[in-house]
Amino acid sequence: MSSVTIRGIKKRYGTLTVLHGIDLDIEDQEFVVLVGPSGCGKSTLLRMIAGLESVSSGSIAIGDRVINDVPPKSRDIAMVFQNYALYPHMSVYENMSFSLRLRRQAKDVIDRKVREAAEILNLGKFLDRSPRQLSGGQRQRVAMGRALVRDAQVFLFDEPLSNLDAKLRVVMRVEIKALHQRLKTTSVYVTHDQIEAMTMADRIVVMNAGRIEQIGTPLQLYDTPANLFVADFIGSPSMNFIHGTLHIGASGAHVQTENGTRLAVPLMASGRDGQKVVYGVRPEHMTLTEGDAGAPVIVEVVEPTGANIQVYCKLGETSVCAIFTDRHEFRPDQQIRLTCPLEKIHLFDAESGLRL
Amino acid sequence: MSKVLQKSVPLLMILPGLVLAITIIGYPIIDLAWTSMQEVSRFGKLSGFNGFDNFAEVFADPLFYGSLVRTGIWTLAVVGGTLLISMPVAIILNDDFFGRGLARVIIMLPWALSLTMTAVVWRWALNGRSGLLNATLMQAGLIDQPVEWLATASTAFTVEILVGILVSIPFTTTILLGGLSSMPQDAYEAAVVDGASGWSQFRYITLPLMKPFINIAIVLNVIYVFNSLPIIWVMTEGGPANGTDILVTYLYKLAFRFGQLGKASAISLVMFGILLVFTVLYVVLLSRNEADAAPEKDVKDEI
Amino acid sequence: MRSKLRRSILYWLVLLPLVVVILFPFGVMFVTAVRPRAELFVYPPTWGFSEFRWENFSEMWEKTNFGGALLNSVYVSVTATVIALLLSIPAAYAMSRYHFSGKGAYRTFLLMTQMMSPIVLVLGLFRLMMALGLVNNLNSLVLIYAAFNMAFTIWMLQSYFNSIPRDLEEAAWMDGASHFTSLVRIFLPLAVPAIAVTAIFTFINSWNEFVLALTMMRSSADYTLPVQIYAQVAGRYQVEWHHVMAATVLATLPVAIVFSWLQRYLIRGMALGAVK
Repeated sequence: MSSVTIRGIKKRYGTLTVLHGIDLDIEDQEFVVLVGPSGCGKSTLLRMIAGLESVSSGSIAIGDRVINDVPPKSRDIAMVFQNYALYPHMSVYENMSFSLRLRRQAKDVIDRKVREAAEILNLGKFLDRSPRQLSGGQRQRVAMGRALVRDAQVFLFDEPLSNLDAKLRVVMRVEIKALHQRLKTTSVYVTHDQIEAMTMADRIVVMNAGRIEQIGTPLQLYDTPANLFVADFIGSPSMNFIHGTLHIGASGAHVQTENGTRLAVPLMASGRDGQKVVYGVRPEHMTLTEGDAGAPVIVEVVEPTGANIQVYCKLGETSVCAIFTDRHEFRPDQQIRLTCPLEKIHLFDAESGLRL
Repeated sequence: MSKVLQKSVPLLMILPGLVLAITIIGYPIIDLAWTSMQEVSRFGKLSGFNGFDNFAEVFADPLFYGSLVRTGIWTLAVVGGTLLISMPVAIILNDDFFGRGLARVIIMLPWALSLTMTAVVWRWALNGRSGLLNATLMQAGLIDQPVEWLATASTAFTVEILVGILVSIPFTTTILLGGLSSMPQDAYEAAVVDGASGWSQFRYITLPLMKPFINIAIVLNVIYVFNSLPIIWVMTEGGPANGTDILVTYLYKLAFRFGQLGKASAISLVMFGILLVFTVLYVVLLSRNEADAAPEKDVKDEI
Repeated sequence: MRSKLRRSILYWLVLLPLVVVILFPFGVMFVTAVRPRAELFVYPPTWGFSEFRWENFSEMWEKTNFGGALLNSVYVSVTATVIALLLSIPAAYAMSRYHFSGKGAYRTFLLMTQMMSPIVLVLGLFRLMMALGLVNNLNSLVLIYAAFNMAFTIWMLQSYFNSIPRDLEEAAWMDGASHFTSLVRIFLPLAVPAIAVTAIFTFINSWNEFVLALTMMRSSADYTLPVQIYAQVAGRYQVEWHHVMAATVLATLPVAIVFSWLQRYLIRGMALGAVK
């Protein structure tokens, strides 16, 4: 087990630059999730740690050892691939023992380790099967088992759950997390699914267009997103964004929206009077209100999910979503008033997208 | 491993094959070009540079023009006939019916026989006295007298074209079948919902989507048929009286019967030029297909 | 179900003339191969014959040096196939797994060589083999067949290799395998079926080749089967057709059966590589 230190990593394919200088410290025993939309460079970064992509510039170190020019086989890293990459001509047992056999470990040691891993992953009865005879979830477990037998310094996961159906994904998510809590192996996990990131990570790295947008614990990202991209990416349904102008007066501050609605905001040190801003509020932080308080919106669509009610409304031209856990009755075209506690409001500079 | 070494790995992997191909295929081309400008003695010795005399001799030779014209007819008739038969056959074989597996095997059978063997069998089947084609036609009452199929140039050439079509059908059908099986099923379902009849489905969906496959079948067949020697050589050797000679058989006779190496080289180069045009056409078609296919893929990815 | 039956009958009626013409030469071959010599040239010609003479085959074998030609054909085809594959497998692997400069040019070169028929170059090839002292030597055919088949083999192999996921090899590297180990223990075992199919097609191509064998082999002891059979027919006053047909049956049947069985792989390979 060991830390991973990434300094100024760049990746270029010819004239195309896909990573623009990444700095990242992954601590020993930490579970770090790289998350971002497809094409953001998260998989490339992971494959560079694995040694499957060359490093254009910068350095990657595991522990104290810089591994830029170390071939994958000598990095002591285990990896779980998106399509599992099980060797189709080998049985489950042979798949899991392959790395140990390559290292010429003693037969009884191999056997003990494989059976231990199989025990942990509930694969005991399948050891003699070929991968073809397994279900998707079982294949996924074999792929993990292959990593598990190794006692590798670092585990890498490349979107390992994306080929499973929704239900199984939740199950495996929990299993992987439990496994990490038990083994404490330093892990880097790539996904495009922010829920996976939120639920599994010690720390999340949000990436976009070859750059890191923000690094933090799941709740840090949720509570204080550093910019519009992170605010939009983390949380489902996404945060509501309303464009407007910040007005700071003696009695307090408010944002004047494009259709003239005034939204109260807390006084912020970095805000200027007249600044173009984006007012952000999460759907689950909206509350219903009566009388003159709050913003008037028109109900468009109501989606009861059982646990809660999601209401899609219009504030002028802007779509706004609100989630209520209480059971209210709503009709389309009905006008309601929504408000939000001041401490739950996020303000971003409209031009730079940065949090105020 | 150093970076330079790493970069040269793929090159080292293709190198041995490349060397063999360049030696065996490249050298003869250069040698032909050189020989074609040499005076060649009766005994096949090159006896000096004579510029374009060999080419002049070729272009003054009525037998060359005869062969050239027949090559055109041969290529056009075989490729055209093959395509006309293969298209409906491929459509039938792509549909579901009883005994389709058997039908596919039978249609593909001529491919399994080498051209030489096929031609030998047909030469015997067409025998003017006792050939089994005559037997069949006489027993069926279609003719009273056996026909000397290979004795006159015109009937011989016609028969050779028909055999040529027969042996080209499997390959062509295979390409067309490949195309048909890659046809998007939902397009047909949409057309049926839109009320398209069988014929208009063919006209407005199958044909346009099949065009790249048809094009490739045409170009590849043109190249194969243009170069095909065994059928004519085994059945008539270009005779009687050069009446069924095409360029390849004429070239072969000049080179290996009459020892006219200079002239044969010149004809080889002329044919090489013609082939090059077809090949370039083929490469362009292929890359255009790829270009057509590429953006489609991108769109899919985005959705 | 009714409509499928109707459709089947209609389709078979449409295909019937073609089926008859295709099967006709096979009928001719068998019927001639087993009839007595005296019944070859009868008038009026007829399909009927008095007895099955299977001895035609053994007679033919002795009289026409069929065994020698068979050995020559086997030697040439096997050796050419082995060489073509030994050179094609690394090339196809490089084409499938690496990006390198000149890849596009190499692909075009392969296409060109595939289009270049040996017949146009036959005179140049003959002079090359003269220069190498390989005329009348079966190895000349080995070299030429290997060279002319390589475009096809690389193409087929590459399209199959592309379908073997790259991450299997990557997984092996992560498991601690060197490039060489991952090739031998992961990649090649998975590529065996593709290699076998490609090998068989190369073998059949070499087995059936005629023009070059006719040109390079000047003495009858070196003839391969197609030339041997052709020599029984060409320039002879009296052709022993029953022997010729018996030889044709023997030379063709095994190859034809294997080919019919494998033909669907060829279709698949073409769909993957050639047309796409």
